[in-house]
Amino acid sequence: MSQPILIVGGGPAGLSAAHAAASAGRKVTLIEKEDRLGGAPILSGYAKLVPSHEWASDVIGAMVKRVVDNPNVTVRTGARVQSFDGTPGAFTATLKDGGKVEVGSAILTTGFTHFDSVNKPEWGFGTYPDVVTTTQLEQMISSGKGVRCPSDGRKPDRVAILLCVGSRDRQIGREWCSKICCTVSANLAMEIREELPESNVYIYYMDIRTFGLYEGEFYWGSQEEYKVKYIKARIAEVTSDGKRLLVKGEDTLVKRPISIPFDMVVHAVGMDPNVDNMTISSVFGVKLNKYGYIERKNTYTTLCETSRPGVFVAGSATGPETIDDSIAQGSAAAMAALTFVPAKTPAEAAE
Amino acid sequence: MPIHEKSLIRPEKLVEHEELVIEGMDVSGHWSTFIEGRSVPDYNETLQEEIAALPGGENIHRCWQCGSCTNACTVNALNPDFNPRYWIYLIRMGMEEELLRDKDIIWQCVSCNKCTYACPRDVVPEQVMKATSHWLELKGHTPKSPSMIFDEAFSEQVFERGKIEDGLVLREFFKRTGQPVTQPWLVALVSGLVKRFPVFYLMKLGLATVFRPRTRGWGKARDAIEEYVHECEERNRRAVGLGTKGAK
Repeated sequence: MSQPILIVGGGPAGLSAAHAAASAGRKVTLIEKEDRLGGAPILSGYAKLVPSHEWASDVIGAMVKRVVDNPNVTVRTGARVQSFDGTPGAFTATLKDGGKVEVGSAILTTGFTHFDSVNKPEWGFGTYPDVVTTTQLEQMISSGKGVRCPSDGRKPDRVAILLCVGSRDRQIGREWCSKICCTVSANLAMEIREELPESNVYIYYMDIRTFGLYEGEFYWGSQEEYKVKYIKARIAEVTSDGKRLLVKGEDTLVKRPISIPFDMVVHAVGMDPNVDNMTISSVFGVKLNKYGYIERKNTYTTLCETSRPGVFVAGSATGPETIDDSIAQGSAAAMAALTFVPAKTPAEAAE
Repeated sequence: MPIHEKSLIRPEKLVEHEELVIEGMDVSGHWSTFIEGRSVPDYNETLQEEIAALPGGENIHRCWQCGSCTNACTVNALNPDFNPRYWIYLIRMGMEEELLRDKDIIWQCVSCNKCTYACPRDVVPEQVMKATSHWLELKGHTPKSPSMIFDEAFSEQVFERGKIEDGLVLREFFKRTGQPVTQPWLVALVSGLVKRFPVFYLMKLGLATVFRPRTRGWGKARDAIEEYVHECEERNRRAVGLGTKGAK
């Protein structure tokens, strides 16, 4: 078994899988629908990553270079898979442009889609220019322009970060926790306070899930060192008094209504299943789970398997995932694909 | 030192001693104002189950205390003490005594259902408010209001005969609320009628008090309604751990 491996999606998981498989000497074809590699951290312009505080362009950029420079990897950007036929060990992927790729197995690292805040109109995104998403805030920081109110470019004095926008919400059919937004918000809050020491940053939460080791540096660090304030309230609505944004809700711990002016409101947007998952599911013949992510066949024993033998999955295609875990899963998927032995057909078994 | 935010302190917790000397210092009157501690004396472990067993309370266990219901609430905007999020917390923790402090406002929910559409967990707080009001009534925490007594006299007649006789509803209402039948407005109404002397109307009215009007063939409907009402009552009583009505 030494057929090439097809990897679909050039984000952290895909780059990691491609590097691992190519380093082991296997030929890899990496398909990316956008015009460049890097996935969400590069395409959405993330700033400093959790937990290492390295710039996304530096670390993910290095991963891209490592893959592009590897002679075992063929990169196809601006490409999509039209159909995926054949049997495990002998698949043929037909691309949209008519090109064909013969592979023994495939790894889906198709990632996620940021939640579109327009779907929660009561929180003012799309109505007021100074209501932004965490993605936009990342871009303000990574572009070097700094955190400014989009309406008039002023430095915000008071910033509210609303958690669970597009997560943990049955009203809009998103019951899952997106896992990373609490920590990302704490990280961004610290970035804002560092750039604008005069500013005041408030995080409105239902529960705080800065899990594992993030507890110390991000949850407590943001409070103790950076004086970020955490208020237990789910905001009811964001309106405007004509000058500033008005945030309304109930501070549930002191049982009092909130009606506080802010200069900037940030939505900590969650992770939706990739908008293309229905297509991916039908092209590759893999099942989706009840939330719309690609279903993993097993949790233990075997890793990264989908419902179709020979097709593997890694990273946030399977559900909300951190960048470092996506990278680890990419390696695991490469290992699964490298050691994959297709089950014998009845005819072969008879020989 | 004056006590700030005195409004947050429950009046019964504020204690003043008229005559008090501490270590030779006279601190009588307001000099000796003390605030007694507030503590939770006990949990009623079955409270959540009881509410959940009543119609509408089924999803109470889902609540994660985000406050969306209170934010959205029509009544809360007028009266900050009307706080569905807080009551759901009290019920889930079994803090019955605290809940009963608000027994006179819980039923003020206007069923606008804004909370229902705001709740990210589909708790359906409006239905929980209904179940809670029902629980208060079943447990005997809320005396019957005049309007409820009127409703009972009214519906009893509808169940019984499929029709009502206005005079009887009124007489029953006055009897059950202990009021005299000779209400000034009623006397004025009747004397007005008598003055104009609409013979047939008065005859009809008089006859109706003797031969109570009844929908033809009502018997089966009456039995079915009575059975259903009885069934609902028994189910609710069982839900909150009360015996059957006969054993009340």
